[in-house]
Amino acid sequence: MAASLTGLLKPWTPRVLLVRWSRYNPYYLEPEPRKEVYHIPETELTPEQKEERELKSVRPIKAATNSVTSSVFNDPVLSKFVNMMMKDGDKIIAKGIITQTLENMKRKQVEKYHKAPEGKKAEIECNPYAIFHQALENCKPVIGLASIQKGGKFYQVPIPLTDNRRRFLAMKWMITECRDNKHRRTLMYEKLSQELLAAFSKEGNVVKRKHELHKMAESNRAYAHYRWW
Amino acid sequence: QIGFSLSQCHPFCHQTQVRPLHGSGCGQQQEAIGMETRPETFSIFRTQENDPACQSEQHLGQYYTVPPSHFHTVFPHGLPPRYQQQVKTFNEGCVMVRQPALELISHLKRADYSKPTLRYLLYGVKGSGKTMSLCHTVHYCSTQGWLVLHIPDAHLWVKNCKELLPSSYHASRFDQPIQASNWLRNFRTTNEHFLSKIKLRQRYVWTKRESTEEGRPLGELVDMGVSRVKSSSDVVGAVLKELRLQAGGTEGGFRLAVAVDGVNGLWGRTTLKKEDKSPVAPEELTLVHNLRKMINNDWCGGAVIATLSQTGSLYAPSSAYLPQELLGEEGFDSMDPFVPVPVSLYSEKEFESCYLYYLDHIHFHHWLQHPHSQTEEGKKELIFLSNRNPSVLERLCAFL
Repeated sequence: MAASLTGLLKPWTPRVLLVRWSRYNPYYLEPEPRKEVYHIPETELTPEQKEERELKSVRPIKAATNSVTSSVFNDPVLSKFVNMMMKDGDKIIAKGIITQTLENMKRKQVEKYHKAPEGKKAEIECNPYAIFHQALENCKPVIGLASIQKGGKFYQVPIPLTDNRRRFLAMKWMITECRDNKHRRTLMYEKLSQELLAAFSKEGNVVKRKHELHKMAESNRAYAHYRWW
Repeated sequence: QIGFSLSQCHPFCHQTQVRPLHGSGCGQQQEAIGMETRPETFSIFRTQENDPACQSEQHLGQYYTVPPSHFHTVFPHGLPPRYQQQVKTFNEGCVMVRQPALELISHLKRADYSKPTLRYLLYGVKGSGKTMSLCHTVHYCSTQGWLVLHIPDAHLWVKNCKELLPSSYHASRFDQPIQASNWLRNFRTTNEHFLSKIKLRQRYVWTKRESTEEGRPLGELVDMGVSRVKSSSDVVGAVLKELRLQAGGTEGGFRLAVAVDGVNGLWGRTTLKKEDKSPVAPEELTLVHNLRKMINNDWCGGAVIATLSQTGSLYAPSSAYLPQELLGEEGFDSMDPFVPVPVSLYSEKEFESCYLYYLDHIHFHHWLQHPHSQTEEGKKELIFLSNRNPSVLERLCAFL
């Protein structure tokens, strides 16, 4: 890899670049951030776990990235969302926006809870994490479209999507919707909280976009046999 | 004794029984109504005693509710903005009874008001609860019938001023009409019942045609200041002077509490500039000049309670919290002698109490929603992340 980059180096490029390669020697082992693993007493280890522990005492271990935590409040989906919202590597701002969004959603729901009559109180969800996950579920498309070339023309062919792709699309639509289609002066956390609450109750533009994708896929059913995988 | 009786029903407080929560060995008990008393450690985090005068050491660490009827009159301004949001969300204003506030209140109870005023200074690290202790003391003063002069943040008067008019009264000083009229409006809300009782002892001339005669009620002066924005700073000066003269008086005497938040803003630098771009010193502002006269201890019949604040301060490093550092030479010499009241971070008991308050789900659907935050692990993590700092804990629990 280094061999190909030297051709691109110009006189003004700094000779020492700060790049964290993710290419480690395969000899290195992954770090283990979860606390429960280290609390198992010696006697209760299975033979595989004992072997693993012995291996870890001799082999070197990769450096853990900044985003892995042993915190109980760690949420991988939320971390992914924060990374997608991040611009220019400024994770502090992105994380700040997300925490403000969660707080805002919680406040709105708690206020709604106070105003609701007794019977309806149990139905109002106040946990911002539950709302976030449910809203993201509601935005995930089930089927996607791919552009496949056949006989000189390109057709939009319905294809199944992997889980990762579906999650990525849901998050991407949510973020672009909030960035582009809202009033200029509202702050991002306000826009996000409105959109997430709407998606939680299956309304709003993101869910609409998902439905439109489904309709397009349904209308292009005829080309489904163009998919060869 | 804070009894375990079920039938005590304070008119303002909804809670009727004591729920012991904190049994050793069990995580968190979420049952709504249950009278299980465990013989091991239990903690109660609310008290029925809503009158600051009757609170004592046994109530340390417990939350009392400010009665909703008093809330808007006592605190039209002066509460920290995040606390105001919390009050709006929870529909109740609960304040924790803490050591600094209790100490202050006991000093106020025992002070001799015929001697020159005592000055109390609350200081502590950022977010340790100085403003809230000040507000607790202000609530005490207003329940005792004192006249409360609450300046929410002295830093607001030395920065970000859009209009700076040259003063009509004194040639080299500057007026701040907007800040002065806002403050007068809030002053009027807090002290309605005093405005008709206090009579002016001097004649004030505002323009060639307008003047306020001797013997008119204070309310008229304040109304004039609110409506005529141009002379509002001078009205503030007049109000302060009148109150200073009349506070210790034997005939119809009232006690005056001057509560200033961010008092270090009065002696420092300002960010305001004159028209020739030269900086304005704080003395050249009418409001600051008059307030400094108020803080001097040359009058009697009241108390001056002040808080230091680094958050809004100008040209002060963020690690500074001691009086010497924040007040500077000039400020310290003017405030000297004062009674220093240190405000520390939450103790273990206070942290417990705060945590249980956020977990409370009798009064409101509990604030801490994350399932892990309700376990022991989560609690340990909260202690670690916040270092028991009240404001940091509040911000953490807001999104958890």
